[in-house]
Amino acid sequence: MSGLSVGMFLFLVSVGMSLIFGVTRIVNLAHGSFYMVGAYLMVTLVEVLPDRPWAFWLALLVASLGVALLGAVIEVGLLRLIYHRDPLMQLILTFGLILVISTLVLLAWGPDNKSVSRPDALAGSVPIFGQPFPSYYLLVLGLAPVVALGLWLIFYRTRWGMLIRAATVDREMLGALGVNVAALYTQVFAFGSWLAGLGGALAAPTIAVALGMDGDVLTTAFVVVVVGGLGSFAGSFISALLVGLLQSFGILIFPAISIVLLFAIMAVVLVVRPWGLLGRPEQ
Amino acid sequence: MRTRIAMWGVGAVLVVAAATGPVAAQSKAPIRIGEINSYSGLATVYTFPYREGLLMATKEINDTGGVLGRPIEFIFRDDKLKPDEAVKAARELVGQEKVDFLAGCISSGVGLAISAYAKEAKVLYVATHCQTSRLTWDDGHKYVAHTTNNVNQYVRALATKAATMPYKKWAHISPDYEYGHNVWDEFSAYLKQLKPDMEVVQQNWPKLGETDHSSYVTALLQSGADAFLSSVWGAQEIAFVKQARPFGLFEKVHYFSASVGNPDELDPLGKEAPVGAITPGFAWYDDGMQKRHPKLAEWVKKYETRAKKEPTLGASWGYASAYIIAEAIKRAKSADTDKVITAFSEGFELEFPWGKVIMRGCDQQAIPPQWVGVVRMNAKGRPVLADVEEVHGKDVIKSCDEVAKLRAAAAEKKK
Repeated sequence: MSGLSVGMFLFLVSVGMSLIFGVTRIVNLAHGSFYMVGAYLMVTLVEVLPDRPWAFWLALLVASLGVALLGAVIEVGLLRLIYHRDPLMQLILTFGLILVISTLVLLAWGPDNKSVSRPDALAGSVPIFGQPFPSYYLLVLGLAPVVALGLWLIFYRTRWGMLIRAATVDREMLGALGVNVAALYTQVFAFGSWLAGLGGALAAPTIAVALGMDGDVLTTAFVVVVVGGLGSFAGSFISALLVGLLQSFGILIFPAISIVLLFAIMAVVLVVRPWGLLGRPEQ
Repeated sequence: MRTRIAMWGVGAVLVVAAATGPVAAQSKAPIRIGEINSYSGLATVYTFPYREGLLMATKEINDTGGVLGRPIEFIFRDDKLKPDEAVKAARELVGQEKVDFLAGCISSGVGLAISAYAKEAKVLYVATHCQTSRLTWDDGHKYVAHTTNNVNQYVRALATKAATMPYKKWAHISPDYEYGHNVWDEFSAYLKQLKPDMEVVQQNWPKLGETDHSSYVTALLQSGADAFLSSVWGAQEIAFVKQARPFGLFEKVHYFSASVGNPDELDPLGKEAPVGAITPGFAWYDDGMQKRHPKLAEWVKKYETRAKKEPTLGASWGYASAYIIAEAIKRAKSADTDKVITAFSEGFELEFPWGKVIMRGCDQQAIPPQWVGVVRMNAKGRPVLADVEEVHGKDVIKSCDEVAKLRAAAAEKKK
């Protein structure tokens, strides 16, 4: 059960990363940093807002939107300048962003560990199959499929979603058809960042908000995206659940090799299906 | 990396300039100490207060005439928590900056790496914030001294407390690396010695930095243990506590922790803090502590005026480290490496606002007082350490003979 909820956090983060890659072809290494900023914003908002039941939800919304805004600013101010460059340049830029953002977070929030309390209604646990299960995880288990369903509706039932899917297939053609591709890129990047921010804000009450959380999540999210297939949303969903369960059960069954197991699966997938479980081979 | 190095470089220059400001009047050349520590990323929660304490002591020393009439000066380098970066910095400090000594470390891996370099380069290295006992014991040599607590002492102090309680069945959760194994081995061995009927019923080894602990929490709940020891620390332990709480783990199995009593964990936990947990910590705010150590309150006030923050254990360690280095140089009557090593190897004692610190000669290891208390909520609803009991490290630490045996065994292994 808890493996599933870990999978849900991973899904939120990795689907954003996958989306950004699918459309802009940028491997956003700073995605973990967006997750961290989401969690830190959550800390500040929960502190600032009055101690009411609705404050937590408002904070969740504002924190994730704040990260979306950050993503939009970075896309317009930096990434837009290098789309036509070598992919290596893009990697270096997003890697540089990791360092810049972590230094800025240190300057803004200081070195101390932070934490967010769960809303009172979700602080306890409920019995499931005779075992206590934290109610906050139930919320996460409920929320992530809602987000997944929302994403599916957006991608397959709206015009905007259609444009995004079109952009993953053929960007030049889309531009030639008169679609403002630059604006679409900004929107997608902001949307992907929003998902990372939401993941961070939602995870904040279950962990310590601290420097270094960016790197931890980036590695795992990266594996999830690669295994699921770069740019494939359903792939991210399945692979996030797989990795979440693997991490929970792996440590019980093979405690010594649970870290290796993660990368072993990635290696196997890359050998057998280099484009990921549900990805499409490059043409 | 560049940006961070540049920022910290500028920062370090500014701090050093600020710290040595009044010294400019003194004509003699400063005694220069290269200080290598992790000044970026996740360890800053410990190293920033540590550096504040170090600079506070440096200023006090220099304002009262320095050491042998010379000011002391620390030149800071960021090791980014990596042994290879630390050794690179050590080479640069010794080769280009021509420092007299090396100091620093928060990561045990870094401490051991600099120590190995110091031995080879014949430079005195004064390890400060890292805590592995291997530093001065198994891997000890004359070019390394250690100015703060090692794992052996505070874990034995905690085990001493545990032995007074009626718990027989024990479990643990420890991060699967050097430190976690060190803590659990010391704790279980010493508790067995004090309480032979103690029995280990379950072991949990999450990886270092694990963020999801729910399966371990379930395992601990089902272990049938009366009590368990945790040596996960920092952000990882905060996550562990937050995840264990809804399961009611702390009501069912008594929680002993190597580090949850420090403010870097208690304050973020706030109302979710594990009330009743037994743990070591530097409880300067405790009434009993302040009664035993009348000068402590004044020191705390001085630190707070300077740092605009409450002190931490790390701050006291930084403060003590600067004074211990200065004392060794004073006793050597020279900043010459061999003479200062002789001063360390003869041993000495220093009084601090929190009690006596013994620098033991045989292993050049500091032996400070140890405190163990219980986590409680104070009147303002803030989690603190209460009912603090003091044991001096000298009453629990391994003897010089035992250390000699450890060193001999380690030498045998290398052959």
